[in-house]
Amino acid sequence: MATSWNETQQIEAVLLGTAQPGDALLFETKLMLDNELADKVMWQQKTYAMIKQYSRRQLRAEIEAVHQQLFTQPEHSSFSQKIRQLFSKR
Amino acid sequence: MHSISNTDKLAQRQELFINLYKSAFPAVAKYVGRLGGSFDEAKDVFQDALVVYYEKIVGQPSTLHNDTAYLVGIAKNLWLKRYHQSAQNISLTDLDMPSDEQEESPSNNRLMHFLNKAGQKCMELLKSFYYDQLPLHEIAEEFGYSGVRSATVQKYKCLEKVRETIKEKALAYGDFME
Repeated sequence: MATSWNETQQIEAVLLGTAQPGDALLFETKLMLDNELADKVMWQQKTYAMIKQYSRRQLRAEIEAVHQQLFTQPEHSSFSQKIRQLFSKR
Repeated sequence: MHSISNTDKLAQRQELFINLYKSAFPAVAKYVGRLGGSFDEAKDVFQDALVVYYEKIVGQPSTLHNDTAYLVGIAKNLWLKRYHQSAQNISLTDLDMPSDEQEESPSNNRLMHFLNKAGQKCMELLKSFYYDQLPLHEIAEEFGYSGVRSATVQKYKCLEKVRETIKEKALAYGDFME
């Protein structure tokens, strides 16, 4: 395990379930003996959750930009009027 | 917000969302409107449905027979669940709802804000790989790395950097996640 990203890669393989069974077993053993490694595994798991959350926020922002475009720009006015009419009767 | 170079992908997604809005939103709006819901409710569930849809089709050719019907179905169900609990017909079980419980905690927001500012390039790289599931050669091209290997190393370096940041900030904020 020469480089640190090698270790990070191993953690990833185990967390994402892509590790070979033998490697996963070896990793489990190492994990029991190495608190620092266990710590890294925990924070790396949270990192994936944060990446997902970050990505969803970016995607939502993109979708909202599309929404604004459709409901404010004149070229889309027939579309937006059609939608608005569905809510104007009440 | 999208200062990094992946403008092509951004433009492609924008086009996709415009098309889906035009093909599917009218049916969702009609449905929500008829049942007494508001424009904002229709917008809310439709945008969540688009996130669910995106996560389903990303990284693979769409296996859905009818993308519009799928989207409309998700949005209707989300609306029933969220705004019309009394409805009899809440089938489709639990969709993987794109709302994370932790998302709203103040320390989580602080951390997200920090990652946005201090680590945006890394976050964009990690997003491209894990969320948008772009192939490494495309990532290398878009982020200006010399090749797949260099992009791979950089991805892990970023992962380590963000991991250390999260750990450091989480310990500093105390109440972050658990």
